[in-house]
Amino acid sequence: AAAGELLSDEGYRADGRRPTELRKVRARMGVFAQADGSAYIEQGNTKALAVVYGPHEMRGSRSKALPDRALVNCQYSLATFSSAERRRQRPPAGDRQAAELALHLRQTFEAAILTTLYPRSQIDIYVQILQADGGNYCAGVNAATLALMDAGIPMRDFVCASSAGLAEDTALADLSWPEEAAGGPRLALALLPASGQVALLQLSARL
Amino acid sequence: KENCRPDGRELGEFRATTVNIGKCSITTADGSALVKLGNTTVICGVKAELAAPTVDSSNKGYIVPNVELPSLCSTKFRSGPPGEEAQAASQFIADVIENSQMIVKEDLCIANGKLAWVLYCDIICLDYDGNILDASAFALLAALKNVQLPSVTINEETGLSEVNLKQKNPLIIRRHPVATSFAIFDE
Repeated sequence: AAAGELLSDEGYRADGRRPTELRKVRARMGVFAQADGSAYIEQGNTKALAVVYGPHEMRGSRSKALPDRALVNCQYSLATFSSAERRRQRPPAGDRQAAELALHLRQTFEAAILTTLYPRSQIDIYVQILQADGGNYCAGVNAATLALMDAGIPMRDFVCASSAGLAEDTALADLSWPEEAAGGPRLALALLPASGQVALLQLSARL
Repeated sequence: KENCRPDGRELGEFRATTVNIGKCSITTADGSALVKLGNTTVICGVKAELAAPTVDSSNKGYIVPNVELPSLCSTKFRSGPPGEEAQAASQFIADVIENSQMIVKEDLCIANGKLAWVLYCDIICLDYDGNILDASAFALLAALKNVQLPSVTINEETGLSEVNLKQKNPLIIRRHPVATSFAIFDE
């Protein structure tokens, strides 16, 4: 896939952005009544929803409760109509990519939430991607941060995430779906900005 | 008490209903709509694909509805395979489509015996505050009215289908069913 297609001669990307320019962000908190905290975020055309329940008593097996802190339970799911090709419903082997990203979400937020304040309880974070146009996981992380704020769950810092890629030698910020699919290296970064600590760093590239 | 419900409504009164078709539309879906009945929020996305019709119904397309009640909409639902309520709701929507004849499957056929449209209607509940069935039926109808299908022709020589994305036609909706649920309380 040509890196030359990602950046025009004048230095503009396919959607007219400059290399370090982010897509337009629109966000709203407190969108749902049932949840303790919720948020909706749009980054360009990527639309992500995050819903937080908790802290509450452990559901399911009490034995999994941690004696000194809260358990963070995350789920990440892509709606079947979210991508250009309709995704199959729940393949028999389980949706592995969703499970991996849910694990990443848990690792990211366990670093940020002050879990020691709520021993033996559970905090649920559910992320639903309604439209996937690149940077889905990062939009999910940003939505989850807003939802946690809306739920009033104490955190040591916000978690902000963005993706990045490379076009020849130029770094591109906030990749859209065509740019991700172009085949170059893709980076996802989740950061705690006040302390500058990295909660998650994921790099994928085709060799 | 004076025939007044816990949220202050009259016995026959509906909650404030909002439909969002244009602004919140999912551009990756062929048609979409978001419906709010009070706090109950349901989103429907319709995706159209091409498939070969079955041998016994060679002039009919397919409509496949699916209602999802994910764990994010309420603490009632655990994650995992669809529970009873989701399956019952999916069957209800399938029955509504079939019995009301809102879309006639023959209209979805492109070439008899060779090619037809499949409409996957995925309804996801985002906030569960009761009356899912009415909200889902409404979201489905709104999304279907929003669908634009590209025109498809079959090339006589090669036998392959050619999709013209520039020329889009709306779906033919013959009937507009409106769902209203009632419950009997005490007497």
